[in-house]
Amino acid sequence: MIKQTRFGEFGGVFAPETLMASLEELEQAWRHLRADAKFQARLQNLLHTYAGRPTPLTLAERLSDEHGFELWLKREDLLHTGAHKLNNALGQCLLAKEIGKTRILAETGAGQHGVATATACAKLGLECVVYMGAVDAKRQKPNVGRMELMGARVEVVEHGQRTLKDAINEAMRAWVSDPAAHYVLGSALGPHPFPSMVAEFHEVIGKEARAQILQQANGLPDVAIACVGGGSNAIGLFRGFMQDDSVEMVGVEAGGEGMEEGKHAARFSGGKPGVLHGCYTWLLQDADGQILPTHSVSAGLDYPAVGPEHAELQKRGRARYEYATDDEALHAFAQLSEKEGILPALESSHAVAWVLQNATALRGKRLIVNLSGRGDKDLATIFSLRDAEANS
Amino acid sequence: MNNRLLNAAHQLRVDNRRGLSPYITAGDGGLALTLQLLHALERAGATCCELGVPFSDPIADGPVLQLAADRALAAGTTVNGIFETVARFREEGGLLPIAMMSYWNPLGHRGWPQVCAEAKAAGVDGFIIPDLPVEEGAPIQEAAQANDLCTIFFAAPTSSDVRIQAAAKASTGFLYVVGRTGVTGAGTNFDPQAQDFLQHVRKLAGDLPIAVGFGIARPGDVAAATHHADIAIVGTALVGHIHQAFTSEEPSSEPAEAAAAAVQAAGNYVRELCTGLTFSTHTEA
Repeated sequence: MIKQTRFGEFGGVFAPETLMASLEELEQAWRHLRADAKFQARLQNLLHTYAGRPTPLTLAERLSDEHGFELWLKREDLLHTGAHKLNNALGQCLLAKEIGKTRILAETGAGQHGVATATACAKLGLECVVYMGAVDAKRQKPNVGRMELMGARVEVVEHGQRTLKDAINEAMRAWVSDPAAHYVLGSALGPHPFPSMVAEFHEVIGKEARAQILQQANGLPDVAIACVGGGSNAIGLFRGFMQDDSVEMVGVEAGGEGMEEGKHAARFSGGKPGVLHGCYTWLLQDADGQILPTHSVSAGLDYPAVGPEHAELQKRGRARYEYATDDEALHAFAQLSEKEGILPALESSHAVAWVLQNATALRGKRLIVNLSGRGDKDLATIFSLRDAEANS
Repeated sequence: MNNRLLNAAHQLRVDNRRGLSPYITAGDGGLALTLQLLHALERAGATCCELGVPFSDPIADGPVLQLAADRALAAGTTVNGIFETVARFREEGGLLPIAMMSYWNPLGHRGWPQVCAEAKAAGVDGFIIPDLPVEEGAPIQEAAQANDLCTIFFAAPTSSDVRIQAAAKASTGFLYVVGRTGVTGAGTNFDPQAQDFLQHVRKLAGDLPIAVGFGIARPGDVAAATHHADIAIVGTALVGHIHQAFTSEEPSSEPAEAAAAAVQAAGNYVRELCTGLTFSTHTEA
């Protein structure tokens, strides 16, 4: 029986009984291995010699000069496979291997978690099946090919909205049918112990960032900013500054095309608490408790629920949650590309967008943005938007 | 506690009989059809019924029940509409015990004390919630108990004895045994291993009746399932039968004819399955 599964009132373990034995086994293994020096040494070694940690902290000089703030970028886009997701995928796959699992299931939205899991499985010699919504498989096509090149099988999900939510539904169904497999959930959500475990595998982001900014800028940031889909990159950054009361924390959700129902994924602005995919948290739902469709130009933020730890941080007032629209994110993508020579993922562009939208209020402040991924996967989206604009 | 579901399940033990619990998705074909189906299931000899609340994200269901939920939602089915349908069924004299089977969110987002009061007023007898393990059950058990409603938890082949005992302790009416690992509708083979599991669960559950579901489609499955279980649950196969009958009428025919065909198909199928309830003719091992 599992105990202590919550962040305040949020979280929990709302899973079908068939999965409970697997969740209990996972929780026990994780409790044991997180304190196991040998396991941690193996993980650290992989992160350093394979994944490319530590990732650098870069001062965005031209944007900083232009707006009168000091903007630092934590470069998770430079991690192997191009996003922070590999921290968690390596951690969970190593853990799965440790407890004798040979088969890995995963879902993916933008494809970054799928690619990271396929990578970890190739490196560690595990079988890998990735579930991906048909809409996402189309808009993030290069990532489908990358997963397949590394030996993963990609199952395209045609049910529902055919995005991340439906990929998680299908991955959970696959796990219910094959509880001997390990399900590598890709964000800090789902039933306990996933939200805690995933956050812990990403804590390295915030720990590195804190040490780096103290060294490079001689002080803590005033504000730490990250985009929030499920919220794994954000919780990774935030955990590094949780004890620093002076550091304000801002999570940026997908405002999509605006606050009309179905047009966005801003859970804290348009949702209310409920249960989806195993945890009690803020969700976009209609008056009858049905999950609402979402929209975002970025597949990784296009999801109706937020990780439960964020729900608790918001309730406590330790972090606040804002949103950036598609257009604002695309503008930020262009700014970072043209002025800093960095093509950011459309997800991470939302965090930069919030900074640019609030530039006046942020003048004189030291800011750290988690640049959670690189934008190569989004080039097809960017080019088709550019062509559409040119033809209109 | 005086409750139709509790009494019916208990009576099976008293009489040393076995029972059948059909599942239908509320609102699949419209709630008017659901009302007629409830009467048909009662007439056909069902012990009780599981009335599925459609949900947009049913993580424990296979394709047949996913599509049934999609159709029900597209037809505008709401939880209030389902409560009204059950209330109407009771007004029309329906006595069939009804357990609402719903994922947590469509009911829970309202708050369990309110949901339980509304369910009780409508004539619902209990809840089965596939994404609710015993760990998260307390708020629901408390509210259900205050309204004389049953709460039914699950035991799966992967569950430890400790878990099965906890689920049995938290359940009223019966314990829902998942016959095999997997989503709904993927077929069951009641091999000796499955029979051993059911026998084991029956022992652990003590006086609490046990119901087994997942993949029951023929009278022979019912007979095998109820060798150790008190109740056989039929879901996917019945939903498939009803949908086929409902949509096989000529497109030009009256909606009433399609509904009549669906109701007849459901009644005939449940009657046929009930012929598998042969246990009462031999004594328990």
